[in-house]
Amino acid sequence: MIEFYHVNMVYPNGVVALKNITFTIERSEFVFMVGASGAGKSTLIRLLGREFLPTAGRIRVFGRDLTKMRRREVPLYRRSIGVVFQDFRLLNNRTVYENVAFAMRVLGAPSREIRKRVPEALAMVGLEKKAKRKPPELSGGEQQRVCLARAIVNQPSLIIADEPTGNLDPETSMEIVELLEAINIRGTTVIMATHDKQIVDAKKKRVIALENGQVVRDEQRGAYSSDF
Amino acid sequence: MIFRNFVYYIKEAFGSIFRNGWMSLASVSVVTVTLLMLGSFILLNENVEFLATEIKNQVEIIARVEETLTPPEVERLRAQVIQLEKVAEVRFVSKEEALQNLKAQLGDVVAGYEEEGRNPLRDSFEIRTIVPEDIPAVAAELAALPGIAEVDYGADVVPKLFSVTNVLKWIGMAFMIGLAVTAVFLIANTIKLTVTARAKEIMIMKWVGATEWFIRWPFVFEGLLLGAAGALIPALILQRLYAEAFTWTRINLYFLPLVEPEAILGELTKLLLLLGASIGTLGSIFSIRRFLKV
Ligand SMILES: Nc1ncnc2c1ncn2[C@@H]1O[C@H](COP(=O)(O)OP(=O)(O)O)[C@@H](O)[C@H]1O
Ligand SMILES: [Mg+2]
Repeated sequence: MIEFYHVNMVYPNGVVALKNITFTIERSEFVFMVGASGAGKSTLIRLLGREFLPTAGRIRVFGRDLTKMRRREVPLYRRSIGVVFQDFRLLNNRTVYENVAFAMRVLGAPSREIRKRVPEALAMVGLEKKAKRKPPELSGGEQQRVCLARAIVNQPSLIIADEPTGNLDPETSMEIVELLEAINIRGTTVIMATHDKQIVDAKKKRVIALENGQVVRDEQRGAYSSDF
Repeated sequence: MIFRNFVYYIKEAFGSIFRNGWMSLASVSVVTVTLLMLGSFILLNENVEFLATEIKNQVEIIARVEETLTPPEVERLRAQVIQLEKVAEVRFVSKEEALQNLKAQLGDVVAGYEEEGRNPLRDSFEIRTIVPEDIPAVAAELAALPGIAEVDYGADVVPKLFSVTNVLKWIGMAFMIGLAVTAVFLIANTIKLTVTARAKEIMIMKWVGATEWFIRWPFVFEGLLLGAAGALIPALILQRLYAEAFTWTRINLYFLPLVEPEAILGELTKLLLLLGASIGTLGSIFSIRRFLKV
């Protein structure tokens, strides 16, 4: 379903962020992208979101070649992806409910649909009771749950999360990853970039490890590092 | 555009206008000031032009008749003049009438002639042309007619007047274009601030997969509404002020002709609203372009 084929990414300033990346991810997989800071995890996630194009190579998602996609097709492609950010990126002057509904409204969803699916998404992340709160009144973990609800409300086939637990304490981090697992069990593919060893080691999922922009390890039921 | 989306755009636009209250006020003020200046200038320009036309229309040709002509010959000459294609109106002024007019203007200087029973003046025709621009040509034709002694039409005044009004029109035009461009830039900058304030929303919209036009429309409406609001204020102010000025002038400066308010204010209001809306829309499209790239 996701295929990187000899992908290189060189930023305009000359930094080589990814070198000759090749891998395939199947439908409904849960994959950790691990690696030290600067390894190229974010670049890979952003390529998947079609924020920019690779310098060389091919990226296919859902059978579509991202490098050949037309500009006006990008919004449609993004509707099939849910994005979770490290810094949540919530609208602080709107309620939790409105933050999630926003993702549907901007796709022109009918309000009947919105009224049905927003509470479902909030229930999924356990925030139905805080729908009327605004993000600044919530804890970091709760804010990330809102971000998760927003990512799933349009029922994407793929969730990409760039260090979603980077700003959270270990316990809360584990809860967020468990939510991602729950979403994954319902059939959504999840790709999560992280350098949280504890989580990766605990979950025993597929691990793709990056080092200096290269894939150095790709194993099922892997750990954060190979040396144990 | 789906109606549901349209409602969303308008809601968002109004929401944003009120959320960014001070910024909106600044935008409206910029448009208001610009269009107030622009509107005043248009009114001034229209009136100068109107005045110039009035003056031009008052320019007439005076054709003096040879003393030797008998009254029937004068009458035939008059008939000949009125036949000329570009002539609108011919009025016969007898030399007695001319002397009275002169006396009214100059007073005692002329009184001597009257006492002596002498009249050094000639009978004449006052001729108006259909358009003032034809005056020199008609004057030449008249001079060629037998029986006409001399033709006079303020030869220098007419071409000068035309060039003065033309120059004024060009200066005015340049000034107005300059103002309009300034207003677009100012609006673009103000909306850029609201766009920057909403950069996060725009980014989320893009990540969720909103189309570019969906992201753009609320800002376009916002600009349009701000621009139109900014135009409405000067339109109302100018309507009121001009009506007052017109009445005041009619009473106190009755010799100064101004354009009737009814003849100009409707058009002016429409023009200002159109300009305001365009300035606002253009400004918002400029300022959002940068944010749409990804
Ligand atoms: N926008 C950018 N322009 C230039 N270089 C960048 C940019 N983003 C990241 N980089 C560089 O690319 C490399 C990979 O960065 P990144 O993908 O952010 O790694 P990670 O997310 O694993 O920390 C780093 O050397 C980083 O400095
Ligand atoms: Mg990163």
